[in-house]
Amino acid sequence: MAGFVAGLLDATVRASTVLVFASLGEIISERGGVLNLGVEGMMLVGALGGFVVTVVSGSYWLGFFVAGLLGVAMALIHAFLTISLSSDQVISGIMLTLLGTGLTTFFGQEWVSESISGFPRTTLPLVGEYLVGIPVVGEALFRSTAPDFIALALIPVVWFFLFRTNLGLEIISVGEDPETADTMGVDVFRMRYLCVLIGGFFAGIAGAHLSLAFSQLWVPGMTAGRGWIAVALVIFAQWRPERALIGAYLFGLLDALKLRSQAISVQVGAETPFAGTINPALDFVMHPTIMATYPYLATILVLFVTVVRFDSEQLGVPSALLEAYSRETD
Amino acid sequence: MTDGPFLRMEDVLKEFPGVVANDEVDLAVGRGEIHGLLGENGAGKSTLMKILYGLYAPDGGEIRLDGRRLDLDSPQDAIERGIGMVHQHFMLIPRLTVAENVVLGEREPSALFRAESEDSWLPESFRENRVVSGLARRFSLGLDVPEQRIADLAEEYGFDIDVGASIWQLNVGQQQRVEILKALYRDVDLLILDEPTAVLTPNEAERLFDTLERLAERGLSIVFITHKLKEVKAITDRVTVLREGENVGTVDTSSVSRADLARMMVGREVLFQIDKDPAEIGDPVLRAENLRAEDERGIEALSGVDLTVRSGEIVGIAGVSGNGQSELAEALVGLRELTDGRVAIADADLTGASPRRFIDEGVSFVPEDRLEYGCAEDLSVMYNATMKDFRDDRFGGGYFLDYDELETYAETLVEEFDVRGVRDTTEMLAGDLSGGNLQKLILARELYRDPRLLVANQPTRGVDVGAIEFLRETILDQREAGTGVVLISEDLDEIFDLSDRILVIYEGEIAYETTPTEADRKRVGLEMTGGEGTDGEPTADSADQAVADGRGDS
Repeated sequence: MAGFVAGLLDATVRASTVLVFASLGEIISERGGVLNLGVEGMMLVGALGGFVVTVVSGSYWLGFFVAGLLGVAMALIHAFLTISLSSDQVISGIMLTLLGTGLTTFFGQEWVSESISGFPRTTLPLVGEYLVGIPVVGEALFRSTAPDFIALALIPVVWFFLFRTNLGLEIISVGEDPETADTMGVDVFRMRYLCVLIGGFFAGIAGAHLSLAFSQLWVPGMTAGRGWIAVALVIFAQWRPERALIGAYLFGLLDALKLRSQAISVQVGAETPFAGTINPALDFVMHPTIMATYPYLATILVLFVTVVRFDSEQLGVPSALLEAYSRETD
Repeated sequence: MTDGPFLRMEDVLKEFPGVVANDEVDLAVGRGEIHGLLGENGAGKSTLMKILYGLYAPDGGEIRLDGRRLDLDSPQDAIERGIGMVHQHFMLIPRLTVAENVVLGEREPSALFRAESEDSWLPESFRENRVVSGLARRFSLGLDVPEQRIADLAEEYGFDIDVGASIWQLNVGQQQRVEILKALYRDVDLLILDEPTAVLTPNEAERLFDTLERLAERGLSIVFITHKLKEVKAITDRVTVLREGENVGTVDTSSVSRADLARMMVGREVLFQIDKDPAEIGDPVLRAENLRAEDERGIEALSGVDLTVRSGEIVGIAGVSGNGQSELAEALVGLRELTDGRVAIADADLTGASPRRFIDEGVSFVPEDRLEYGCAEDLSVMYNATMKDFRDDRFGGGYFLDYDELETYAETLVEEFDVRGVRDTTEMLAGDLSGGNLQKLILARELYRDPRLLVANQPTRGVDVGAIEFLRETILDQREAGTGVVLISEDLDEIFDLSDRILVIYEGEIAYETTPTEADRKRVGLEMTGGEGTDGEPTADSADQAVADGRGDS
């Protein structure tokens, strides 16, 4: 049992990293008032780009970094369309996801059979050996790839950036009320560009983590909806980085369970009352396809609970999300 | 200090597509002066000030501040030159605290990195390094020192504000004080206030005036935008009047009377009389008993209003804005949920019924906000004209619409109600009509169906003079056709000219009832402000002021 738990935990941590990267980026972007539904596409481009660079150069760090820049390049399209041209954020984002999917499917074919040696699992310097020794959780948490550690470290960094710096205050202000921010001398356009580009970088490295550390291979469409889960996770996290970690672990756990549920069979004995009803029901809820919907169901549940429980002022959603800004419109 | 005015705007020109908002306007404000900027809605006051604050780029003209040319690309430039602005709609972020709202954009670094900080353990030369301070201004945020300064400023001016509170927890008056603190924190020399009293109670307005006078004593120049003559007389030293984007003139406040100002503002004598025939009053069309309702914040806005309107009768509801008029109007047409009371239209009890039932029973409604609730801006005149009647048999009745008939109907309305500027009812968008013409279209839609009851909330507000006359006559014609009318207005002229009975609403209750022939304007004005209880304000004053102010409103 301990082995199963440790294994499940390990799989959870691995699966959550990509969500941490992507959702942190999305949080920054949305805090600035720009919804980015192109995360999935940016992740795919990052995954393929990072993989190709790693194959060609042999350096997974270079691949990781280039993946981030590819994310930035795609985010630049999104930023230009939505911030400079005030076009619809939803349409632009979906377009980028479709674009990213199409491009990586087309250009990615010849790289499917390639193999790389990606990020190895290591321990932290100095204290790593001791931490790994912690029962059950040690191996899962502290013997990880470099991007896993980076993702964890980014959570307090992003939290500090958003809530304890002037740039963070200005980002929040342009996401809440760009007109007010403008009258206070904040450069709304520059701030929003910054947010979207950071979001793009994070989406790019999220993809790279997938191909260079998590799977260590490239398959078209390998993000398998994780970009969309990251968008849902931002709502789940109420636009707060520290809650994104909880969400990422929860969604990662569901992801890990989905993979493992095929190996295990949860059934009650035939002599149990109502076994005839319970067992098909268990089969249904444990079916991998059904389990893949759990992150979304969880999001709906969280949305429902938060809306019921809090005043709108206490909800996290940035007031000016989806709102384009330009002067002289009124 | 240099000779001449502190601020001089010359020949400022601003054009929007199809409109000249500012047509070569001049404005000069001295140091320590409170300068009124008076004009009707759409006269170009706010536009002029937005140019001065760097929000709009002027198409021509020159601005000089303290003798130096002022070229503004953004509010940031204006802030740097010492200009602050308190906007009509507060520029505050509800979710952030007072201190965060005040320092936003100032980039206050954490105390650790402040150059002048004494208890920082970082060496001073390090803190003064440009790269370090640049990074610190971006990647840290110190609120302790600013919070202290804001608290000091607040105390200096007697503001009761908790700097750590979130904006959404503050009331409107406090929020406005935060807006002023924002300007004071930046050490402005020129403060622009855009209709600052629009949202304030009389007491809060009084406090604001005290504050402004203290600021002016310290040498601050203040531009005070308003359309209320009383305020101009009360607080300004000089006043510049704008009309239709043009400068009518600048005068010393003490040298002119309110009537003079009103004439300058509107361009003609303000009072005018309408002839009306005596009413032929019939059976009750509206019976409302003990109406109670809450406003958006869940605070009781109607506290037991009884109202009966008979056919052929106009009942005028007078009152100062925000005393429950909007809630009353909405309650009478089924748009606002009642917490108590009953509404009956003719013989049908419609308490709790949907707005659709009210419409079917012959209730028409002219809402206060014609763009938000009166029309669908982005739909054509045709759709807007037929919006309430498209289910009628004449347009197909069932599942299909007879578009030719819709168009014919819309054209009839446009013609009969003199809606100008419509060439094609299917092409022209309602939102592109001018205020007066849009209001005519709305009134046409509401009246052509020959309603039993018309509820009109501020039907002539912000409408040009010609249209006002037409709208009033139309309402009178409808009265003769036997419709009962509830006319809500802040314009006492309008109430007195049109009504057969006058009710005064104050704090959600009917405080006083009279008729135009018996009425004493002073008494009505007094009742509007809550009777004898108001700070010994001269009673004649408030009534006169309401009369003279009637025309332009926000």
